[in-house]
Amino acid sequence: MKSVRIIALRQDRKRLLEHLQDSALMQISKSEKSRDGFNRVDLSSQTQVFERNVNLTEQALKILASVSPEKGGMLASFKGRQEVDPDEIGVIASNSKDVIAVCTRLTELDKKRSDNAAEQVRIKTQLAQLEAWQNLDIPLNTTETQSTAVFIGSFPTLYTESALKEAIAAENPKLCFETEIQHSEAAMTCAVIFVPKSQKQMAEETLRALSFAKPMSPTSKIPKTKAERLREKSERLTRETEEATAAIEGLVEHRHDIQITQDYFRIRTDKYKVINGLDHSKHVFIIEGYVPEEDCEKLEKLCTRVATCALEFWDAPEDAPVKLKNNKFAEPAQSILTMYSPPGRADIDPTPVLAFFFYFFFGMMFSDAGYGVLMVVATTLMIKFFKPDKKMRNNLKLFQYCGVSTILWGLVFGSIFGDAPATIYNYFTGANGTMAQMLPWPTLDPQKDALLLMIVSIAFGLVHILVGMGCKFIMCIRQKDWGGAFFDTGLWMLMLVGFAVLAAGIALSPALLTVGAVIAIACAVGLLLTQGRKSKSIGGKIVGGLASLYDVTGYISDLLSYSRLLALGLTTGVMAQVFNMLSTMMGRSVVGFIFFILIFVVGHLVNIGLNALGSYVHTMRLQYVEMFGKFYEGGGKEFEPFSLQSKYIKIQEDK
Amino acid sequence: MNGMFFALLGASLATALAGIGSAKGVGSAAQTAMGVLSEDSSKFGKMLVLTLLPGTQGLYGFIVGFLILVSCGVLGGAMPTMGQGLAFCAASLAIGLGGLFSGIAQGKAAVSGIAMTAKDDANFSKGMVSVTLVEIYALLAFIVSLLVVIQIPSLKI
Repeated sequence: MKSVRIIALRQDRKRLLEHLQDSALMQISKSEKSRDGFNRVDLSSQTQVFERNVNLTEQALKILASVSPEKGGMLASFKGRQEVDPDEIGVIASNSKDVIAVCTRLTELDKKRSDNAAEQVRIKTQLAQLEAWQNLDIPLNTTETQSTAVFIGSFPTLYTESALKEAIAAENPKLCFETEIQHSEAAMTCAVIFVPKSQKQMAEETLRALSFAKPMSPTSKIPKTKAERLREKSERLTRETEEATAAIEGLVEHRHDIQITQDYFRIRTDKYKVINGLDHSKHVFIIEGYVPEEDCEKLEKLCTRVATCALEFWDAPEDAPVKLKNNKFAEPAQSILTMYSPPGRADIDPTPVLAFFFYFFFGMMFSDAGYGVLMVVATTLMIKFFKPDKKMRNNLKLFQYCGVSTILWGLVFGSIFGDAPATIYNYFTGANGTMAQMLPWPTLDPQKDALLLMIVSIAFGLVHILVGMGCKFIMCIRQKDWGGAFFDTGLWMLMLVGFAVLAAGIALSPALLTVGAVIAIACAVGLLLTQGRKSKSIGGKIVGGLASLYDVTGYISDLLSYSRLLALGLTTGVMAQVFNMLSTMMGRSVVGFIFFILIFVVGHLVNIGLNALGSYVHTMRLQYVEMFGKFYEGGGKEFEPFSLQSKYIKIQEDK
Repeated sequence: MNGMFFALLGASLATALAGIGSAKGVGSAAQTAMGVLSEDSSKFGKMLVLTLLPGTQGLYGFIVGFLILVSCGVLGGAMPTMGQGLAFCAASLAIGLGGLFSGIAQGKAAVSGIAMTAKDDANFSKGMVSVTLVEIYALLAFIVSLLVVIQIPSLKI
């Protein structure tokens, strides 16, 4: 990685930045303050306009999706972005005004729909309130006639006509009145009460004592007419909503344009944000950032071609971002590494090692040739037909390689959809063959040779851990930390080898046993002598040496952790076998055959889902905990070049 | 009398106890995950991974149970003697109990992992690795049960 400073004329700013963005060669660093003698250009108002447009288009697309979802479903997420010629950007830019107008119209239509929905809810409650008064033939807000006072309202109690009369009479025997009950239900009686005008005051008090209440929304219309009006209004609103929906549907054809325009504004926002962070003088401006070493020349050529400028390169500081560069075999595993953490300044890039062990262990855990073939075929087809973007392509590649490894391990374990070939053969012939008899090569049955396979798993684990420590060794050497390399790492590596020889000796020959024991003891003594070297006192040195030997428990638990290679491999095989067995349960008949196919397909799909996930997660864990724990520090930053960050379109670089 | 009863008891214990552990673990993780998904459904993939992590114990228990069935005369193999039956039963306890408690514990870890991932997607791999740390104990229990179960038919007890 190199640091770079570009000084160019202000008049070339637009052209230069556009080309930098297109080429994605450099990462532009931002600083809070401008240096002396330079100023910042404030373009935040334009940036805000662009951002608002991005939001508006996002909203518009959401509205369109709610009316007519985009076709393609799950598989669409694998699809690569549409490629667009750089020349078309001008067209997109000139159309953007119209597209934004469409988006505004969409949001208006949508707002109308939601307003109407809210209004209709209000109408509904009003109608429910009017329901009780539908037989009343005077307006609800009537209070008096020429000679009588009229009270329209409700009591919170259920009354019959006579009961109500009694209740009022009991409250105030002096009152002359007439009542008419409009509606009565469990805890409500709606009634009209007439009293002589002279007794209005008295009547009000009496009624209040009986908790009489006037209607919530008295209208000057007769209730029936009012209800009629409201219903008409509601129908009109429904119609309007339908019209709005239809209008939105009519705009679906603009979806593609909206997406493209959104990307256009997104790109421009990015560019303006960069300009906001650049130092300008009266005539020139300065861009500072990072560029990968191999791209320096390209960058220089590009800049001098499009602008009058001066470039300056120097070695990047230690906290510069990192760009991972790997061959085709290892590249797919980069995402696994960055998911953990990009390499820090002291780290070596462990991707190639990681990639190899990732494929290897995944295959060993998933270990079924049939499933492996499915993985390889599915990923190959997806890469071929969907033309996915680089990131998705690498993810698919990862599983393609894992699939190859899965096939190989499946053949070693003699597992092709579990014991499907034997099961199917037996199903149709009634024979009693096993996979081991059918396959021409010798297989290792995890069920019968579990102990052997566990030893093999732990042996692979030992290799894995030793490779991890080897990386640490190299890192220490590079930093000229000789003690760290030979005493802390080297001795332990040798000790683990000694233990391995010792273990092999127990099984094979006493001679190896002695050799292994000697190596282990020698290393232990070495550790005792060296591990306390950093402490000053004699006592500290002795305690440090002894304490370091306790680390052996850590290595043992790390190694035991690799028994999951056996456990998950076995799980896949046994589950597959169980489904095969279940599928043949209904015997040989037409129904039995349909049942066979059904259980076979569903069972294996379930098994693939469960165990692919398990294998992925546990492989990752073995890398992250057991291997990375030995050497990897991480904490670096990823190289994020100033580039076209678009969601829907991909602008081809001009060659 | 032969050891069939105890062999079957062993198969049931292994499958059921480990299954309970996984069911509790996955259940509590799924509850939390659905809470997160109600806010942001785009996290479905990550949530699914974290939710399923405590599910392996049940599989381990089931495999031990299945291996007992295929070697004790139910789905193949010879009728076990009394001693063998008791041995099956004893061997199944490792994954049964180990799976039960590690499943529940892993479920709790998964709940925290989900909460962490809900805050920031970048935490996902750390959460995932931390949750798998619990799994090693279920794994050890499984290996013990497994190694014993496959040896029992050849034992003269």
